[in-house]
Amino acid sequence: MALEPGSPGPQAVEARPSAWGGLTVLLDTPAKRVVAIVAILLVMAVAPQIFGAYITVILTNALLYAILALGLNIVVGYAGLLDLGYAAFFAVGAYSVGILTTEFGWNFWATLPVAVVAAAVAGVVIGGPTLRLRSDYLAIVTLGFGEIVRITARNLQITGAASGISGIDQPWLYGWHIVSQSDFYYVFLALAVVAVLVSVRLANSRLGRAWLYVRHDEDAAEAMGIDRVRVKLAAYVIGAIYGSIGGAFFAVNLTAISPQSFSFQQSTLFLMAVILGGMGKIPGVILGAFVVVLGPEFLRDLGSFRYLVFAVGLLLIMLFRPGGIWPAGGRR
Amino acid sequence: MTLVTLLAQQLVNGLVLGSFYALVALGYTMVFGVVKLLNFAHGDVYMVGAFAGFVVLSLIGGMVGTSWLGVGLSILLSMIAVGFLGVVIERIAYAPMLRAPRLSILITALAVSLVLQNSVLSLTQGQVFAFSPKLGFAGINIGAVFINYKQVALAVVAALLMIGLELFVSRTQYGRAMRAVSVDRDMSELMGIDVNRVIAVTFFAGSALAAAAGTMAGAYYGSIWYFMGFLIGLKAFTAAVIGGIGSIPGAMLGGLVLGLLESFGTTLPGIGSEWKDVFSFTVLILVLVFKPTGLLGKSEQERM
Amino acid sequence: MKLPVTSVLAGLALALTLGTASYAADIKIGVLVPTTGGQATYGQDMANSVQLAMDALNKAGPNTYSMVVGDDACDPQQAVNAATKLASSGISAVVGGYCSGATVPTLKIFGDAKLPFVITAANSTKLIPANPGNAFMINSTGNDQVAAALVVWKAKGYKSIAIVNEGDAYSQDLATLAQKGFTDAGGTVADFETVNHGEQDYSAVITKIKSANPDAVFWTAYDDDGGPFVKQLREGGYQGAVFVGDGSTSDNFFKLAGDAAEGVYAFSSPTADFLPAAKDFATAYQAKFNIAPSSYGPLTYDGMNLLADAITKAGGTDPTKLMAALQAEDYKGIAGEITFKPDHTLARSNFVVVQGKGGKWTLAQ
Repeated sequence: MALEPGSPGPQAVEARPSAWGGLTVLLDTPAKRVVAIVAILLVMAVAPQIFGAYITVILTNALLYAILALGLNIVVGYAGLLDLGYAAFFAVGAYSVGILTTEFGWNFWATLPVAVVAAAVAGVVIGGPTLRLRSDYLAIVTLGFGEIVRITARNLQITGAASGISGIDQPWLYGWHIVSQSDFYYVFLALAVVAVLVSVRLANSRLGRAWLYVRHDEDAAEAMGIDRVRVKLAAYVIGAIYGSIGGAFFAVNLTAISPQSFSFQQSTLFLMAVILGGMGKIPGVILGAFVVVLGPEFLRDLGSFRYLVFAVGLLLIMLFRPGGIWPAGGRR
Repeated sequence: MTLVTLLAQQLVNGLVLGSFYALVALGYTMVFGVVKLLNFAHGDVYMVGAFAGFVVLSLIGGMVGTSWLGVGLSILLSMIAVGFLGVVIERIAYAPMLRAPRLSILITALAVSLVLQNSVLSLTQGQVFAFSPKLGFAGINIGAVFINYKQVALAVVAALLMIGLELFVSRTQYGRAMRAVSVDRDMSELMGIDVNRVIAVTFFAGSALAAAAGTMAGAYYGSIWYFMGFLIGLKAFTAAVIGGIGSIPGAMLGGLVLGLLESFGTTLPGIGSEWKDVFSFTVLILVLVFKPTGLLGKSEQERM
Repeated sequence: MKLPVTSVLAGLALALTLGTASYAADIKIGVLVPTTGGQATYGQDMANSVQLAMDALNKAGPNTYSMVVGDDACDPQQAVNAATKLASSGISAVVGGYCSGATVPTLKIFGDAKLPFVITAANSTKLIPANPGNAFMINSTGNDQVAAALVVWKAKGYKSIAIVNEGDAYSQDLATLAQKGFTDAGGTVADFETVNHGEQDYSAVITKIKSANPDAVFWTAYDDDGGPFVKQLREGGYQGAVFVGDGSTSDNFFKLAGDAAEGVYAFSSPTADFLPAAKDFATAYQAKFNIAPSSYGPLTYDGMNLLADAITKAGGTDPTKLMAALQAEDYKGIAGEITFKPDHTLARSNFVVVQGKGGKWTLAQ
């Protein structure tokens, strides 16, 4: 394989960069890192009380994107598979919940396992054809699948066609009716924490290392005994499950879903979050998600110029920090 | 009408549509070949080209009329203007990123796309503009199939542009340089090729083609608006990949194939217009399963 | 004892001004529309119409209106964000709502915040069950429009029609209702097509329609694609009748369709140039914004004025009183009379049939 500019040479694969990137300069002991994490969690925990409804809602949105970006990060960042149709998995989760609760009267919690299984199946179906493809072709196939899912949702009666599904009941959990904006905030916060923990365990696991090797040199990885097919499919399936769970809770949060939420533009927003924050690194991905959601929100005062300003800002960020906004560097 | 007439007419429709896809796909494939970038902003260059043509026609329409001559000049001037815009974009947004990770430059292209779209949105308040040149409705009849002169002109212009491009790439020095850079950029530089120049020329040519397609689309379909680049960008990108990204004949073939797929997909009873995009994408996926580098793509040993 | 006349008079004057001043309020109204994204044209148009209405209202007094625009970008999540922000920016009511899919999740938010919501464009039947009681829809739903259409088609003796929609909540809803209605009435839907918003090439669909040879073609989506569609339909050689729904009844339709717009029928709320009030609106709009108003301008203008009227009748912006006032309204707007059924939809269908003649919509038959 030709040495691409920007890719580390063979010997650099062994020293894995720290997930904290450049902040390892400030947070050089594990104790300091724990303190930082606890501080952030505390602030997040009291945010709804301090900041009011609007901030709560957009933070919830940001947390949702963080979960989805973490899922896409597994596909793109860990396994190196450029997925331009991630919204498909998001849709699978949302519609599973929507259909089962409104058409068949299921309890929300019972629909979650179905959403997970459906996601896994989707992951295999979408991942399957891409296994032999080069990264750019893979991108178009995943984009194609994203569109296929969206158009199918738009055309079929069971998914509510273009009007989508509305009137989705909001779930009960041991006497707690999850209904208000702050209720959902805490649910998504909990989900995000779980998502981060799972991502960290995955990165440090055998599977995580297998992804790393496959990403850098597939043939060498194969020679080392790594089953390329299973490793790639695993990435898709796990990424799909993240997306699906995000979608499931999205559906009950909004109580109404329609095909517009699962467009190619949505997929590009997820990708933007992953790459903007600094590819592959968990704190960076979360930061990217927050920027992608909060950026346009804080620019709302600019009216219809907000996306122009956001786009120019994005362009400037990419030009001056192509590796993403999270400070790069730092080794374990 | 008879089945044969229906199919023949749909063939014509598919080829016309396919010509647009091919022209835009060429820009994608050329830029990809030379810079290895999926230029998400390319569809929006098409849109800017349409607006440029519209503006030109409004300005010169008084002098040369809004018929064939006026439209022809609009296409030409739009191609030149937007060709330069393409080079400017490349210099500002992509040139600094050439050594950056692949995915970063992708997001940069997305950002450029958003900037172009939202700039035009702000300028036009999102309004749809009627582009109405006086080109008449006359045409020729082949059997029961009607082909109007606009379609003939479109096909001819598209063909000329594509042939011109093919000649440029295969016969001229720049063309050879482009092909060299697309195979191995660093090596080409070592051999004395001014890579930056070549990249600039590539962007100029690709953007000019997109601008031609945009102006022609505006004149042919009769309307332009700030979002018109998005869908065609998606389709043209698909077409470029079907044909084998990086291959110029591949882009032309891919464009025509996609146009025909859509046209016949709409006609087939089980599919119809509702499912035609699902149909096109399914065919694309099947093609790539059996031929992972696209129809005319070069089979490569390396898998990434 | 001499009365200090001047001071008494001064006191009276002060009391009067204070008294009347307490009825003249600064009222902020939220406007929820897409100002970015693929539907920005319509959202912008609606916001402009509200502005126009407010200008006139402010001139007349006594209340001063100002608006806070929330961009929903026709996306449900964005709409929720925008609605939440609006709900906490000190507004007394909301006007707007364009994309039904994006509007549905906001109903709960405005309902919880006790904000009356006058929905001036979104008219999917999904809004009705999702309404917590604070929303009022002033755009007739598809049912009324199809009913009007069936009357016309029966009168003209059509046996087969083709229906074309754009796969969005509004046009698809209208198309499926029309399909069901026409088939139930004994007709045949010779062709039912879906095109993508913004995809300019309709040649394949048009060839299919020609081959099916229906008596009429019914376009149920908006003018920005409707204009080019009708143009291509005629250029493609289709000779039958052409109908468009109320999403295509703007003046821009004529610009986009060109000569092909001649003789095209449309179902519209009566806003066209034959109502002096609507003409004034269009002129004022053109003068202020330099572009012609689009499909939902007049309705949104009416929506704002309806709200202002209800505020006056309710004596203020108290939510319960305001909502009661809206429910009881009988308002004559430029788009027709507005009264509400118990489910907060229009009591009377406003639809009339108009026809394009000489670049303008005129009453048909």
